[in-house]
Amino acid sequence: MRYFASRLGFFLLTLWAAVTLNFIIPRLQPGDPAQSMVQRLAGQTEAVDPAAIESVRVLLGLPTGSILEQYVDYLKAVVRGDFGISYTYFPYSVTHIIGEALPWTIVLVGVTHVLGFVIGTLLGAWAAWKRNTKFDAVVSLGSTFLGTLPFFWIALILIYVFAFTLRWFPEAGGYSGEIEPSWSWAFIADAVYHGFLPALSLLITGPIGWIMSMRNNMVHTLGEDYTRLAQAKGLRTSRVALVYSARVAILPNVTGFAMGLGTIVGGTLMVEMIFGYPGMGKLMYEAISSRDYPLMQTIFLFTTVGVLLANLCADILYGILDPRVRREAQA
Amino acid sequence: MWWRRAQGRRPRTTRAVTAAATAFLVAVAGAACGAGDNASDSDRGDSGATAGLVRRLNMGDFGGGNAPQRNFNPFSPTALTTTFVYEMLFNINDYSCEVEPWLAESFTWESPTKLVVRTRKGVQWSDGKPFSAKDVAFTFNLFKKAPGLDRNGIWSALSSVTATSEDEVTFTFKEPSVPRFNQIADTRIVPEHIWSKESDPEKFTNPNPVGTGPFTVKSMNSQQLVLERNPRYWQADKVKVQELFFRKATGGAEVDKLRLQRGEYDWNAMFVPDIEKTYVAKDPKHNKYWFPPGANISLYMNLTKAPFDDVEFRRALTYAIDREEIKDKAQYGYVETASQTGLVLPGQKAWLAPDIENEGRVPYDPERAKQILADAGYQTGPDGKLRGKDGKPLPAFSFKVQNGWVDWIQAAQIIRDNLADLGITLNVQTPTPEIVDADRASGNFDMVFGVHGGGCNMYDAYRLPLHSAQTAPVGKPAASNFVRWRDARTDDLLDELAQAQEEEEQKRIVGELQKIMVEQVPVIPLWYGAQWFQYRTEKVVGWPSAEDPYAGPGDQLVIITRLRPNPEYRGD
Repeated sequence: MRYFASRLGFFLLTLWAAVTLNFIIPRLQPGDPAQSMVQRLAGQTEAVDPAAIESVRVLLGLPTGSILEQYVDYLKAVVRGDFGISYTYFPYSVTHIIGEALPWTIVLVGVTHVLGFVIGTLLGAWAAWKRNTKFDAVVSLGSTFLGTLPFFWIALILIYVFAFTLRWFPEAGGYSGEIEPSWSWAFIADAVYHGFLPALSLLITGPIGWIMSMRNNMVHTLGEDYTRLAQAKGLRTSRVALVYSARVAILPNVTGFAMGLGTIVGGTLMVEMIFGYPGMGKLMYEAISSRDYPLMQTIFLFTTVGVLLANLCADILYGILDPRVRREAQA
Repeated sequence: MWWRRAQGRRPRTTRAVTAAATAFLVAVAGAACGAGDNASDSDRGDSGATAGLVRRLNMGDFGGGNAPQRNFNPFSPTALTTTFVYEMLFNINDYSCEVEPWLAESFTWESPTKLVVRTRKGVQWSDGKPFSAKDVAFTFNLFKKAPGLDRNGIWSALSSVTATSEDEVTFTFKEPSVPRFNQIADTRIVPEHIWSKESDPEKFTNPNPVGTGPFTVKSMNSQQLVLERNPRYWQADKVKVQELFFRKATGGAEVDKLRLQRGEYDWNAMFVPDIEKTYVAKDPKHNKYWFPPGANISLYMNLTKAPFDDVEFRRALTYAIDREEIKDKAQYGYVETASQTGLVLPGQKAWLAPDIENEGRVPYDPERAKQILADAGYQTGPDGKLRGKDGKPLPAFSFKVQNGWVDWIQAAQIIRDNLADLGITLNVQTPTPEIVDADRASGNFDMVFGVHGGGCNMYDAYRLPLHSAQTAPVGKPAASNFVRWRDARTDDLLDELAQAQEEEEQKRIVGELQKIMVEQVPVIPLWYGAQWFQYRTEKVVGWPSAEDPYAGPGDQLVIITRLRPNPEYRGD
């Protein structure tokens, strides 16, 4: 019990620190959102009229008052859940914009994260069981090699081969626009069709970490005395492998998986930029480049809260799964 | 396999998984085939086009950022394309600067502070209600009520706007404001009967826009915007296109360029390197482009710092820079080199002062530059470096260029090499665009690039970069006069220009301003920014071009009423 209470307390403290940093950091950036907006509309080769910049400043209602006042207002707003109106998408609220992008990221990155974990863990366990055979060599060396390739390079190769040359898949986008977004089968099929290449590129590099760690953990547990005792007692090989080895070896992977869930909210920036996928990563990039403070702050907030919550869950999960940890905390 | 040996037979779950996987793949393939068909169907119509009309023109991006929201408020900076839905009072031709009547038929300056505009009769809004001068007065008064929408800051000059009858509007200004006509002419007019109901026009997203323009909004989602022909348009017989189809450029600039190469855009405005090879060569009969000059892109020097405060030093620099090399190497030969007068030539030749030699074009002559410097008292030291008038070597100067603006960075490097010939050391720095903007505004620079002029407003072309009201001391942000030019004569001439009603008088004053540019060199214009414009003649002809510059690419309403179907087009 003390273990869980201490974890919760730590979570709240880091949450407050994250929220405060979240307020400070965007404001350290130089640059004026109104200027940025007008300049973008004018492009590189048109003279910018200062009256336009002034009117946009009035429109956006850029923050006034001292930094401390702004901070207090910000804390109040966060507690209320009022994240303000985006500058880049004025007058739509930040919640509306994030609400549109979040499902895309959660589905794409969530599904590939889970699949990557499952595939990686199974392959790792299998390779560990078959250690020192050809299968193990292929899996280990293969994943090490793939792990050294830059992710965006793999993604670009996939686009070049499958989208441009073979034209089996679209080059970019979350959906084609011909079908209106809705909960119809046609739209979902269209979205899956567009999500195939991004998911594939994530699945090529995703499982690698899980494979290596699972394999190494399991090789370790397979060498333990209790495994040899179980085999000597004549238990089925499958039971020894699953219940006695894999279940112990999987513990670090499970907590890693739970922590990884936290990063889903931030999206995978590179995937979304390369594939033009309308998720949180691309939104975050756009918010940063256009100094859209309300949107930027809220995305950072969601990301940090997501990571913190996932860390908390991982801590609690580990406490539940592994009695040794709980006993240590009480001691 | 240890799991197979353990179970002894293939479990039911494996069959279920196989079935699910197959179903999934079939669904994906089905969607793939379906989506593929949609793309090729787009131009061959299903319903068949109305006789004499082209069914669809493929356009480029429609604004709104990466996740465009439905916003058709023409005064909002985050709005989508509304140029085909709402119209303005007069069209000031981007190329020739002629004033063409549009929603208004004529105008008179009854005094330098009173403008009377007569609106066109017989125009309807797209919902059938009649358009009148009351809508014009309403639109301008809307900006007074909601200053966040006043994109031109017109109410800093206006004192009142009233509709004196069904087709006459009177604008009263606080001071003589003849040059403000351009901003009055350009303003898009919105319907009173819809907008008067909005309590907060600044936040109004106008989801179903009602305008007087040739097109109305048919549908919109985050990937595409479809506009359809408005049969109630007052020039409907001139509009020969049924639909304008805008696509978002997801996938970035590279994918967009590939689409352009494949002929998927009929009308676009993209920067394309090596356009002859990458675009025109793909279909030389139909793929065309035209890059008319836009604004001046100039070298801005910090006039509060020595030696930039010495007019002879600045004059020497005008001879030291190889503008032709910048045009060829940095700009792919797409642009034209600029005249020192600050005019965009040859389009604005009518405004050129008669006693300026060679149209104000300064040739590249490093020897002459060295001579001018020597005569002014700048000696070259034994190390080849230039010395100030006090005999001490000049410090290295910084040239701040926006990171990522590759062509500007290249131009800066050419200038650096040119100045090295004179013994002046220049460091090209590339902070982010926001930092460069902030530093330029506050005067924290030695050299930067600045953009000024272009357009048809001579008053703004010289006022924004040179009037003392537009500047501020170093350390405070200046509005647009970043070089900190303070000259009583410039200010007086500009104030005179604001009152000049007759074109002859205006030309005389602008001539004097050009002389200041040439003799005193407050800034050094280098090249004219190009307006990007690609078009295809496969479906429609009648585009403006270098051979037929009846309008600039920005005069979209003029262009759409001049396009007519290409008789050779075998689609619909």
